[in-house]
Amino acid sequence: MPKPLTSLFNLGRSYSLWVYQWGLACCAIEMGAAFGSPRYDVMRLGVIPLPASPRQADLVVISGTVTDKMAPAILRLYEQMPEPKYVISMGSCANCGGPYWDSYSVTKGVDQIIPVDVYVPGCPPRPEALLEGVVLLQQRIKNEDMGARWRGEGHKAIVRDPIVVGGGPVE
Amino acid sequence: MTRSWSAVAPLSDTTATTETDVPALPGDGLREGIVAQLRSDIGAGLVDTLVKPGVDVWARVATESWRDAGLALRESGFHYFCFLSAIDWLPSPFGRGEDDPSAPPPERRTEIVQGYTGGSTRFQVFARLTDIQRHVGITIKADVPDDEQVVDSWTSVFAGADWHERETHEMFGISFRGHPDLRNMYLPTDFEGHPLRKDFPLLARIVKPWPGIVDVEPLPGEPEEADTEGNGE
Amino acid sequence: MVSDVTDLIDRQKLSYIAAQAADARLNVELETEGMTLNIGPQHPATHGTLRIIARLDGEQVIWADPSAGYMHRGYEKLTEVRTYPQVNTLINRIDWLGSFANEVPFILAAEQLMDIEAPARAQWIRAIFFELSRIANVSLFLGDLGVQLGAITPVFMAFRDREYVLNLIESATGGRFHPNFDRIGGLKDDLPKGWIDETKQVMKKLRNFCDEIETLLFGNEIFQSRTRGIGVIPANVAQSYGLSGANLRASGVDWDLRRDQKIALPYDKVDFKVWTHPDGDAFARCWVRLQETREATLIVDQLLDGIPSGPVMAKVPRIIKVPEGEAYVSTENPLGEMGYYVVSQGDLGPFRVRIRTASFNNISIVPWVLRGVFVPDIITILASLYFILGDIDK
Repeated sequence: MPKPLTSLFNLGRSYSLWVYQWGLACCAIEMGAAFGSPRYDVMRLGVIPLPASPRQADLVVISGTVTDKMAPAILRLYEQMPEPKYVISMGSCANCGGPYWDSYSVTKGVDQIIPVDVYVPGCPPRPEALLEGVVLLQQRIKNEDMGARWRGEGHKAIVRDPIVVGGGPVE
Repeated sequence: MTRSWSAVAPLSDTTATTETDVPALPGDGLREGIVAQLRSDIGAGLVDTLVKPGVDVWARVATESWRDAGLALRESGFHYFCFLSAIDWLPSPFGRGEDDPSAPPPERRTEIVQGYTGGSTRFQVFARLTDIQRHVGITIKADVPDDEQVVDSWTSVFAGADWHERETHEMFGISFRGHPDLRNMYLPTDFEGHPLRKDFPLLARIVKPWPGIVDVEPLPGEPEEADTEGNGE
Repeated sequence: MVSDVTDLIDRQKLSYIAAQAADARLNVELETEGMTLNIGPQHPATHGTLRIIARLDGEQVIWADPSAGYMHRGYEKLTEVRTYPQVNTLINRIDWLGSFANEVPFILAAEQLMDIEAPARAQWIRAIFFELSRIANVSLFLGDLGVQLGAITPVFMAFRDREYVLNLIESATGGRFHPNFDRIGGLKDDLPKGWIDETKQVMKKLRNFCDEIETLLFGNEIFQSRTRGIGVIPANVAQSYGLSGANLRASGVDWDLRRDQKIALPYDKVDFKVWTHPDGDAFARCWVRLQETREATLIVDQLLDGIPSGPVMAKVPRIIKVPEGEAYVSTENPLGEMGYYVVSQGDLGPFRVRIRTASFNNISIVPWVLRGVFVPDIITILASLYFILGDIDK
């Protein structure tokens, strides 16, 4: 694919993300503050918060503790999203199990179920941290190789080094 | 400060009214009186009591009188159902899950010691009721027989006991005779085991050694010492 | 008072019967079969992952069964393997909107077992943060209430005004929610300079917010007709299920743990009114919560005026070992009565903690109250009962 066309498509995609909020627990409130409150407005980044269904979403933010009972629903949601899709895991419960790492009913991180692009650490992360995660994801989308997606490799193959917010520069 | 809407008036008078007829209690002292009333209601079913003056009151009843005790307390004014659950008095064979797998297993206490008002079995059910008129609460306990963990259900006495008994059943394995629908509350249907029993291990703590064993930094200004307590500050 | 409630129930029944009769006149020979509707676990109108399976006959519910457990994290088992300060960090996250309020009953129970009294200044500051967490929690409820009934605007106002309270909590404790500020024997730190004046300004803003919501939402005709007479819970049913907080007071029961129970926090030194409503319907529950929020701002003002000076932490050993014993302490949390039954056997951590959460009891009444209710009213009743999933599922 010619470079200018790729970068144009990537630019368009990164600035028009529809994000589905899968808000489970405390992080959902910070996600609500980031997406719905007038102070940490997410729409200025081009991200629109409330799609009508996961089938119209580009990005999903998993925020909150993932329990074993809830895990099949999350997988189902992920399968419902059409390509190209991105996943942000918000909060330490979704990253790795968090404060409940030793519990009998908690899935130790949502990356055991679905591949994750961006990890936003925190308990709960500030809304600004989530916005930083979105901005870093947008940087990565701009540098994405569209050919890989069109060769049919899908999201699971694209995710190779996940971004960790606060973990250094991203190419 | 409260604005009145022009369109609608409140449905009824919104000032609170409280009931003023409080039945007189036998005996002196509020909590002693409650214990005396319970003893006169269920007689020999009341096995042991503990009253901390000004703080709280505990009572242990025989397993056969569990439901009768609930009924008697409800009749004597305890209409508010607070909660119902169970305690497993076996000391955990895994300690607090902080064992170093390279070290020999530490010595642990293994005999069962019950708490307030004693007891003779490993499991005990306990419930808490509140009397709203007299502003007092009571904790009632009962032993659960070791061979067959069944007690009577309280659903016919307090409707709210339904969900609490379901949770106790799935967490401890105690069955409730007379409960209409004893299925899992929190856990998926195919979950094996009863999590709140002390011999149910938290596998994440056993599979990997607990990270706090090694590398515990002393506080600034403290002498360097090998501290295997593990809880840092 | 009781006859008013039965009047309401009768009126509700009559209206349902009339609706069914109208239906029947129209569809007299239509054979229908019931439908099973699955609400949740992810649904914009449930405050989290609650799943309700409702069997419907047309538009009416025959039976409804809430299926909780999608956020069950195993708190009671986790507390057995943690030390007391670690448990304090963990239990912040049970009711995740008003987090400081979760720590308070546990700390008070541990202090009761250790026979330690926190200094007066610490108790007053605890009470201030307790009321602030109530305001933060219920102001989100008021915003969410609008969203669940279809009014989108109050949510933005609620988030905006909640930010003021969260800023206050953050400037004193470092965390917007989950402050983890309470310690056995007192508090972690004293208040920063200028905090008291700023809090007074914020309380004025929140009173304006309450007034705005009252005219905007509660004065709205659609809101009134959607919530009056819906989901009536009589007082004796409420008590036998163990409802607490505003749900109980909206059914006419005058019970508030801040006033009616001897507790270490200085509520006996401030004047406040306990709001009740005799109707027991959805409107009553929402109305009582609104009044309580405004009352909480007044309580905070009084507490700020009277804070005693002194230390904020009592003399407590560095490694905390609580002597043997059992204690139950419950407080009037934003959601209702929350209590911890702490069993200690002299170790570094508790032996067993039974967490009595308000929403567990509040939602256990859902099968009873949703019988015979129309589908749109399901959401109204759930919104008025106000639960947090972490509170139900522990």
